[in-house]
Amino acid sequence: MFFDIQNINKGYAADVKRLLERGKPFQAIQSPKDLDLLNYLGLAAIDHRRMLLQLGQKHKIRLHYGACMSMVEIITILYLYWLNIDPEKPDWDGRDRFVLSKGHAVPSLYITLLQSGYVSDRDFEKYRTIDSIFQGHPDRNKTPGIDCSTGSLGQGFPVACGMAWALKKNGSSAKVYSLLSDGECNEGSVWEAALIAHNARLDNLISIIDYNKKSSYGSMKDRNAVSPLSQKWESFGWNVLRANGHDFEDLSRVLKQAHDTKGRPSIIICDTIKGKGIPLHTRQFVSSSSGLDESHYEEAIVYLNNLEKKINEESGTRIR
Amino acid sequence: MKNLALEFADILVEIGTKYPEVVVLDADLPDSCKTEKFAKSFPKRVWDIGVAEQSLPTISAGLALIGKIPVYNSFAVFAVHRGVDMIRQSICYNNTNVKIIGHAAGVSMGYTGPSHHTIEDIALLRSMPGMCILQPSDAVELKQMMYAAIDHYGPVYLRLPRSTVPNHHGSDYEFKIGQPDVISEGTDISLFFTGDLYPKVLEILSGLKQRKISVQVVNLPTIKPIDVDSIIRLGNKTKAAVTLEDHNIMGGIGSMIAEIYAEHLQKPVKRMGINDTFTESADADLLRERYGLGNKAILQAINAVLKTNKLGL
Repeated sequence: MFFDIQNINKGYAADVKRLLERGKPFQAIQSPKDLDLLNYLGLAAIDHRRMLLQLGQKHKIRLHYGACMSMVEIITILYLYWLNIDPEKPDWDGRDRFVLSKGHAVPSLYITLLQSGYVSDRDFEKYRTIDSIFQGHPDRNKTPGIDCSTGSLGQGFPVACGMAWALKKNGSSAKVYSLLSDGECNEGSVWEAALIAHNARLDNLISIIDYNKKSSYGSMKDRNAVSPLSQKWESFGWNVLRANGHDFEDLSRVLKQAHDTKGRPSIIICDTIKGKGIPLHTRQFVSSSSGLDESHYEEAIVYLNNLEKKINEESGTRIR
Repeated sequence: MKNLALEFADILVEIGTKYPEVVVLDADLPDSCKTEKFAKSFPKRVWDIGVAEQSLPTISAGLALIGKIPVYNSFAVFAVHRGVDMIRQSICYNNTNVKIIGHAAGVSMGYTGPSHHTIEDIALLRSMPGMCILQPSDAVELKQMMYAAIDHYGPVYLRLPRSTVPNHHGSDYEFKIGQPDVISEGTDISLFFTGDLYPKVLEILSGLKQRKISVQVVNLPTIKPIDVDSIIRLGNKTKAAVTLEDHNIMGGIGSMIAEIYAEHLQKPVKRMGINDTFTESADADLLRERYGLGNKAILQAINAVLKTNKLGL
């Protein structure tokens, strides 16, 4: 096994499906009713972060830890709970689409694809090397489950707009989700497409911003800040929703609202913490180009282990 | 005489009827790009995204990823240059089935000036993996080319000069992506051209009449992917080559022919076109005359290149 994770063979997506049997699709999660589900997603997110750390450590690579760690809950709820997708049929016409516009955070998407069953643990033996299915940025022609190749910031989002228009024309009920970074909102192409999507009334387009307030080299406010972000999108005519990007209950609440909104596209601005799960990253700014040394890696593992212990104590041993 | 833009408009409607997945995008120039007829016939299959040219490639890529065949239109200089990164990443790397129509390419929109001239588009797109680049020399070729572009899965750039030219192809002409079109055979010099320059080629030929120089005239409707073996076979028949194009001599068909000649034939090549300079506002024919495609300059180039060949052998 490439990843040293207890739960990996069982399949997270299957577990969620089992937990969902009582519920309907596209419903907000509510505690205490859905406590099992919430705890399960919480544990999946912890495993996700562990796998990110192991991926970097085993291959001795730097993998945009900060950008990956801040989007873990967002991508986890999308793939394990929210999106109408079928990992058995990655090219199914009726599926919801997901575009990772912040393509540099693709390691997190790869882990999610593993947790949902699109790729296998063995695939990770080869990473960013000859004949690997995993490229340094998303490649739809190499990795099953990826809907759009990205990597140049400010492009995935307009591509998602095009997808939404075409799906509407086809009479499809599928929706298009895209995840942007706040730094990416420095790209003019984002705002060009924001205008276009609003004018085209693309209510099947749901975009999410991982608003961690930091870009590659430091704090956004020290270079080209995008705040106030909500007002900007409101003035562009979008349905603006705001959530804690690390809270599944909150995320599901806004996803439900966005899903049900008619006549205009929705943007979900998620307040997040860059590098969440790596104590070093929350103590000080760490540049995207930095790796993680052994002591900080160990520190992060201990932190995640304690977090897991806490969830398991709260939920008994019902989940695992 | 056929106006290529008006022909484009009619063929696009015909294609729209046969291919329900074709959708047409504009960036506020449906009149200049002659897509109004298509819009009238298929109002639900057009999307004018406004003055937002860098979004044409990305949005089109999105449409293609859902199975549409988007045909996006703007002046060539904006259809290509404005969104070069978008074309590279979202169209080529993504390998999406997007058709780019570059209208009024080259200096064919003369009066509007260098800001609107397109003399770098071939150079920019030729280096992008997977990109197919086509340019018609008359309306007969344009029609077949447009069908071929739609039938070919993957990115296609159709370089369309704003030009009115006679049809020099007959109804028996068969366009095939990749194949050069040999218009006349000869043994001294190969004259390669692309686009609406055939009337100019005829003038050059008449200027050579008294000189007993035997010219092989080759039209290059496909700029990429080119069948290299065909070019080698044609190159073997003559002593030297001259290339003509309404484009910077850097990176266009002149460069392509020179590359093939250097690697396979070791025969002299002279590239004629815009000589790495911005031109000015004027009638397109005057601009071509003044900036590298004057008949006298071309005749001189032919003489010079043949002389080089003699010295070289």
